[in-house]
Amino acid sequence: VDFELTDDQLELQRVVREVAERECTAALLRAVIDGTADDTSLWKTYVGLDWPSLVVPEDHGGMGFGAVELILVLEELGRVADPTPFVATTSQLLPLVRRCGDPDQRAALLGPLLTGGTGAAAFDADVTATRAAGGWTLQGTARAVLDGDRADELAVVARTDEGPAAFVIPAAGVTATRTPAFDPTLHVADVVVEGVTVDDGRALVSSGDHGIALARAEATAGLAAVVVGASQRSFELAIAHIRDRKQFGVPIGSFQALKHMAADVYVAIERARALCQFAGLAIAEGDDRAVLAASMAKAAAGDAQRIATQHGIQFFGGLGFTWENDLHLYVRRAKAGELLLGTSAEHRRQVATEVLAR
Amino acid sequence: MRLSFDEQTEAFRAEFVAWLEANAPDPAETAERATSSAHVPAWARRWQQAMFDAGWLVPGNPPEYGGRDATVLEQFVHQQELHRRRIYPSFNPQGLGIIAPSILAFGTEDQKQRWARRILRAELTGALGMSEPDAGSDLAGLRTRAVRDGDRFVVNGQKVWTSGAHHADVILTFVRTDPDAPKHKGISCLLIPTDTPGVTRRPFGSLISADDTDFNEVFFDDAEVPAENLVGELDQGWRVATGSLGHERAMLWLNYSDTLDDLVRTGGDALRDHRLDDDPAVLDWFGSLAIDAEAIRLLGFRALGAARKGQEAAEQSILKLFGSEAVQRSTLRVLETLGPDGLDPTRRTLPPVPPRLATTTARAGSTATSAASPEPSPAARRRSSATSSPSASSAFPDDPGDGHDDPRRAVDHRQRGQASGPRRRGSPGPRAGRLLRLVRRQGGRRRRRAVRHRPHRRDGHERRRWPARAGPGLCPLHPDVARHRRGGPHPRGRV
Repeated sequence: VDFELTDDQLELQRVVREVAERECTAALLRAVIDGTADDTSLWKTYVGLDWPSLVVPEDHGGMGFGAVELILVLEELGRVADPTPFVATTSQLLPLVRRCGDPDQRAALLGPLLTGGTGAAAFDADVTATRAAGGWTLQGTARAVLDGDRADELAVVARTDEGPAAFVIPAAGVTATRTPAFDPTLHVADVVVEGVTVDDGRALVSSGDHGIALARAEATAGLAAVVVGASQRSFELAIAHIRDRKQFGVPIGSFQALKHMAADVYVAIERARALCQFAGLAIAEGDDRAVLAASMAKAAAGDAQRIATQHGIQFFGGLGFTWENDLHLYVRRAKAGELLLGTSAEHRRQVATEVLAR
Repeated sequence: MRLSFDEQTEAFRAEFVAWLEANAPDPAETAERATSSAHVPAWARRWQQAMFDAGWLVPGNPPEYGGRDATVLEQFVHQQELHRRRIYPSFNPQGLGIIAPSILAFGTEDQKQRWARRILRAELTGALGMSEPDAGSDLAGLRTRAVRDGDRFVVNGQKVWTSGAHHADVILTFVRTDPDAPKHKGISCLLIPTDTPGVTRRPFGSLISADDTDFNEVFFDDAEVPAENLVGELDQGWRVATGSLGHERAMLWLNYSDTLDDLVRTGGDALRDHRLDDDPAVLDWFGSLAIDAEAIRLLGFRALGAARKGQEAAEQSILKLFGSEAVQRSTLRVLETLGPDGLDPTRRTLPPVPPRLATTTARAGSTATSAASPEPSPAARRRSSATSSPSASSAFPDDPGDGHDDPRRAVDHRQRGQASGPRRRGSPGPRAGRLLRLVRRQGGRRRRRAVRHRPHRRDGHERRRWPARAGPGLCPLHPDVARHRRGGPHPRGRV
C-alpha cells in the first residue's frame, strides 16, 4: 500500500493552490455576495487553464486524471470557497456521464465541458421517467440541487420501470428556482421537471444501479473534499490568529486550553483528508469499497467541519463574530457542504449498516 | 498511491508466512505465561531465539542482530503478519523495541555484542529506567545522580514505573552526570545490571489487582557501575532518550488498528445480539467506530510513507492521539451497549483466534486491512466466525472451545496486552487481562513479599510518590502549460 501522494500529485496540488489563492480571494467572494461582481471571470480563468478538462477522459479530449487528482483539486477549491460551477460540473455531472453513458453519449456530453460548458446533477430527485416516442418523458421535482439554476446541463437520476437511470436535460427544459442559502456564494436550486421529453441520446440507461452508485460516490467524496478544504482554511486563519494575538503578554496560542483545541481540529481534519483520498483511490482503482469509502469520507468531513468551525470561531473570540473577519466565508462553505449529499449523521448510519451487513 | 503492495514486498510477506507456519511453537510447550514485561518463560526465549537466528526477529536489522536488512515496507508487512496472528516476537518488549535499538544506535561495538545481541536473543531481559517520582512528563528533570569515580560510576536515586524491573537483568538508566549544566545537557545513559549491589527493585500492583505486578520502584544506593556501561557520550544521554522513545512509537498504531478492527467485529456482534443494529443512535457511534478503524490505517500508512523517506513527521503524534482516543471511545461504547452483560469480567472484545495458522486466512483478511489485502467474502467471514465461536449468540463468549488451546494465542498474549491464553480457575478473566495483561502466578506473590522486606526506604528515599502522568514534471493545470496547449511557448522552453 502506498498512501503517499506522488510528486506529480503534489505539484498539481501546489499549482492549483497557488492559482486559487491568487484568483479566488476573499475580496472577490465579498464582491459576489454584494452583487458587485460575479464568478464569470474566475470561471473563464479556470477554463483558460483547461482545469475543467482534468477528469475528462483522454479519448474525449481531456487530461484523463482520476478521482484522486479530482479530490486534491476540490479540496483546494473548497479552501478558497470557490464560487464557480467547477464542483458540480466535474464531480457531479461528469461522473454520471462517464460511468452511465455509452461512447456516443459520452462524446456528445463531455465535449462541451472542455470549453466551459457547465453541468449539475440531481441524485436525490423525486422524478419518474416513462418511455415515450423517441425517448423518455420525465415528471417530478428535485430539491437542493447544487448549481441547478445555472448549469447548462442537468443530469437527473430518475426512477424507471427498469430501475434508476440518469437523464441529461438542457437548462431550458427545466424550471429551476435558486433557493436562499446561508452560503451566498453557493448556488442551490429547487428544480421542477414537468413532462419534459428526453431523447434516447440523453438517456443514460445502459449502466444500471452500479454506475449511478459509483457516480454518486464520486460526487460525495468530492463534496467531502470541499468541506475538508473549507475547514482547513478556517483552521489556518484561526492558527494565524492565535499565534499573532497577544493577551497577558504572550500569544494566546501558548495557552494549553487553545493548544488542545487546535490539536483536536488538526486530527479531525487529517482523519477526514485521509478518508477523502482513500475514497478517491478506491474509486480510481475500481475497488469494491468505493461507495463505503465515500460515505466514510463525507461523515469524517462532517465531523471535521463541526469542530473546525466551532473552535475556529472560538479562537477568534469576539472577532470571530464580525462580518469583517473572513472566517465566516469558509465556515459557511464548510457548513453548507455538510448539508448536501447526505449529512455526516446519515453517512455514519450508512457506514454502520453496510459494515454490519458484511 | 496504490491500494496494494509491490511484488517484492508481497514475496517477502509470503516467505515470512511460510516460515511462521513451519516454525511457530508447539501448543504443548507454551503453557507458562509471562507475568511481567521482562519475565520471559523458557519456551518464549526459545521462540525469540528461533526468530533471531532465522533473521525474522527485527527484519530491519542486519543478520548479525536478528534481521535481514529489510526495507521499511517489508518491516511493515512483517509486523502486519505478526499482529494479525496475535504473535508476539518477544515477551520483553522494552528490550526488543527500545533498549537493544538504543544500544545499536548509540553504543560501542563491545556493548552491541555484550548487551544488544544478548537481549535480542532473549539471553538477557531489560527494563527502561526513565521516570522518577518528580520526573514524569518532564523527564529531563530527573535527579538520579551518577558520579564518576575512576573506572566506575556511583549511582544514587530512585526510578518509578520501571516496568518489569524485578525480572530484568539490566536497566537502561538515565542519570544526571552534570548537575550544573542546563537540565537536558547533564544527562547520561547507563546500563545497570540488576544484580549490582545497592540496586533494590520493588514491584507494585496495578489497578487490576495487587498481584498484577509489572510496575516497579527501583532504588539506587551507592550502586557501582563500570564506566564501560555508559551508552553514548557522557552528558549526551538526552539524545539517547529521545531516540529511545522514537523506537517505542514507530509502529504502535498497529495496536490501535487491531483493537479497532476487533471492536468493529465484536461490537457488531453485540449490537445484533442485543437487537440494537437498527437503532439510529447506536448506528451513529458504530459508524464512527468503523470510520475510525479505517482512518487509523490510512494515517498509519501515511506515516509509513514518511518513515520510508526518513521523516519523523507529525504523523506519529496524530496516530498516538487519535488512536488512543478512538480505542477508548469505542471500547466504552461497546461496554455500555452490553448493559448488565458487561459486568462479566470474562467478556472481552478480542474475538477468538482460529486454532490453526492455516485457518487464519479469513481472519487475516478481515483484520488486515482493508487497504492492503482483499477482503474475504462476507460468507467466508461468517463461516470462519461460526467455526471458531460455537456460541455465536453471545457477544464476547469466553467459551473454552474458542481456541484456548492455541499456541499462538499464548504467543500473542503478552505483546497485545490481552489475555487470550488459558485461564486458571479463580483468576480474573481475559477481559481484565486484556487491560493489564494479568496472569496470576503464585511465585509473583512470594517475590513481592520478599522484595518488600528489603531495606529500600532509608534516609534520602522519599516515600513513593505518585507523579501525575501526563499523560516534477510540470503540473498539467499550470497556467504556463495551458498557454502552451493553446500554442504558446513550452513552459520548459522546449517544443
